[in-house]
Amino acid sequence: MGQQILNAIFIGSIYALFAVGYTLVFGVLDILNLAHSAVFTLGAAVTYTLVVNHGQSFWLACVVGILVAALMGLVIEYVCLRPLRRRRAPPIAALISTIGLALIIIAAIEQGRPGTLFAWLWVDGANPVTMPPGTFPNPTWHVAGLTLEGSKLAVIPISVVLMLVLGYVMRFTQVGRALRAVAENPRAARLMGIDVDRMIALTLIISSALGGLAGILFGVALGDISPYIGRDSVEVRGLAVIVLGGMGSIPGAVLGGYLLGLIEVLAVVLLGSNVRAGVAFAALFLMLVLRPQGFFGAQLREKV
Amino acid sequence: MRRLRLGSVLVAAIIAAACGSAGGGGTNGNSYAGKTIKLGAVLSITGAGGVYGPQSRDGMNLAVEQINKAGGVNGAQISLIVADDASLQAQSAQVAQTMIQSDQDLALLGPTLSNSAVAVHPLAENQKIPILAVSTTGINIVPNCNFPSTVACRYVFRDSLGEETAIPDNIQSYASDAHPATGVLLVAQDDKFSSDGGKIVQATVSKYNINLLKTISFGKNEADLSPYVTTAVGLHPDVIFITSLGGIPAKIMIEARKQGWQGQFLGGNGFNTATVSKNAGAAGMGARSASAWYLGNSFPSNAEFVTAFKTAYGHDPDQFAAQGYTGINVIADAAKRANLTFSDLAGDRDKLRAAMETVNIQSPLGPFQFTSTHDVKQTVWVIKMDGAGGFTLVHEIKPS
Repeated sequence: MGQQILNAIFIGSIYALFAVGYTLVFGVLDILNLAHSAVFTLGAAVTYTLVVNHGQSFWLACVVGILVAALMGLVIEYVCLRPLRRRRAPPIAALISTIGLALIIIAAIEQGRPGTLFAWLWVDGANPVTMPPGTFPNPTWHVAGLTLEGSKLAVIPISVVLMLVLGYVMRFTQVGRALRAVAENPRAARLMGIDVDRMIALTLIISSALGGLAGILFGVALGDISPYIGRDSVEVRGLAVIVLGGMGSIPGAVLGGYLLGLIEVLAVVLLGSNVRAGVAFAALFLMLVLRPQGFFGAQLREKV
Repeated sequence: MRRLRLGSVLVAAIIAAACGSAGGGGTNGNSYAGKTIKLGAVLSITGAGGVYGPQSRDGMNLAVEQINKAGGVNGAQISLIVADDASLQAQSAQVAQTMIQSDQDLALLGPTLSNSAVAVHPLAENQKIPILAVSTTGINIVPNCNFPSTVACRYVFRDSLGEETAIPDNIQSYASDAHPATGVLLVAQDDKFSSDGGKIVQATVSKYNINLLKTISFGKNEADLSPYVTTAVGLHPDVIFITSLGGIPAKIMIEARKQGWQGQFLGGNGFNTATVSKNAGAAGMGARSASAWYLGNSFPSNAEFVTAFKTAYGHDPDQFAAQGYTGINVIADAAKRANLTFSDLAGDRDKLRAAMETVNIQSPLGPFQFTSTHDVKQTVWVIKMDGAGGFTLVHEIKPS
């Protein structure tokens, strides 16, 4: 059972890290950035390619992976979101726009095979790959009947520290205050002299960097990197997490992530394995029915 | 007048006899000269089955090249187009349909996955084109491709040893070696090959007094298998049965060893390729499966096949390559004897189908013939992973 708790904490950390990015964008912009799972995948893919196909050091590859993800955040803002904002398009247009970009990113990775246009990005096509052993330090300890794996354990402090840092920034810094102001009321924020567009771009950058990092940690610790890890592992679960935790609430996303990890693993242990995915959505459904604003979400007000 | 008529009848008869014998012989060295035998292969080059498809393709291409270089089939060159179905059932059916109707292929090979065969084989049967499966080992591939209908499919054949034979042979072999008492089954529930294999395991274990403690199923696309492996390892079984394919077996084996489990892995056809053995690495050492082919087997045509393959591609062939290679040779042999007209596609397809039923050739899989249900009867090789990307032989089980 102890081992299962460890499994839950690990996957919960990934979900939490991923969902924080989701909820940040939702809180500030009131839209769901559905390219987030593609950025998750891209971070992992870039890191893998740099190590395996371009012979770079693992740590450098990770940094570059995060930077590429952050850059993709800017692309999302400038290509998908800003033009629609200028035209005062309804939020659903932005949603679809991000879906479109996600499809493009994933297709680019999927097409990557030796000799093709995208071979610099990825050469394994649709196949799952794993980091070669020895690429990064991954000691394994056996303590009290539990197996502790370095790469999985490392995810926990990294996630926790990042979430704390983000929380601090949001609460106690000028930038954080500006972001919260934009989240509250963009028009009033603009009147207060805040450069709203810049704040939105910053939000996307931070969110995507977190998403990319989550992808890297996931791919490295689980030994599974493919164009589909975003779609299969976190895309829809991320939505479940932010609904559970309250859309727009960062502590909510963190709590929701760990909760979902725990629920899923307990479902496997107690109910048998076929129900793992179903359980996530049952929890989501239950939350929507009982408390639609999630744990920490603001009470929904009627928009007149 | 009568003499002229008699004369012309005689001449006509002689000409008819001459044409008849030249066309009717079929085994005449050049009766197909200038024609092309068009074949299409639907394979999984990408996606979950992408570890197997390229091997089948390479085996097939080698055979085509060898046959064409030696003069073709009665003078006809073989043209083989390989298309990728991305391991997706719907795409597989779509690709097959194109090959049947637009490309007007004489026969098809594939698809790689049993999951795709569920869609493609009934399609081929319906469109009356012979299709030779070269890697599908699930249940109800032949002869009842239209399961649950029990009407036998006439156009579907396979040269890939079924799991219904392979898995029990593997379990029997290990049971007589080590007498395991308990086992846990890990199976991907949303893949036909995996779930078929799981069913076979469940039906077989009691025969050898192995208590199957639990069947743990998961989705084939799930990346995080740790909770499932933890559950399995926590039950302390002697054996873990893995009937999945693609990247899944290696992941399970690595995770189980990490969690300290020391028992035996027993698997199905999904183990039988170098990529899986390599990905599993040291964690996979000793993992056993039953294979339709073994690198070092002593059948007459095997050594040449292995040498030719290595020369062409720079690495050893595997079971899938051997089955693909044999598949092309089977079709070529049938085409030779089928009296193809090259002007009546439907008629030619049916003739090829009939000729395939009587194929009897030497192949890297051994002496090859189809059974009455278009299945394959052959030697089974029980192999185990060597921890370094290859396999070693454990037992050879001759056909009964």
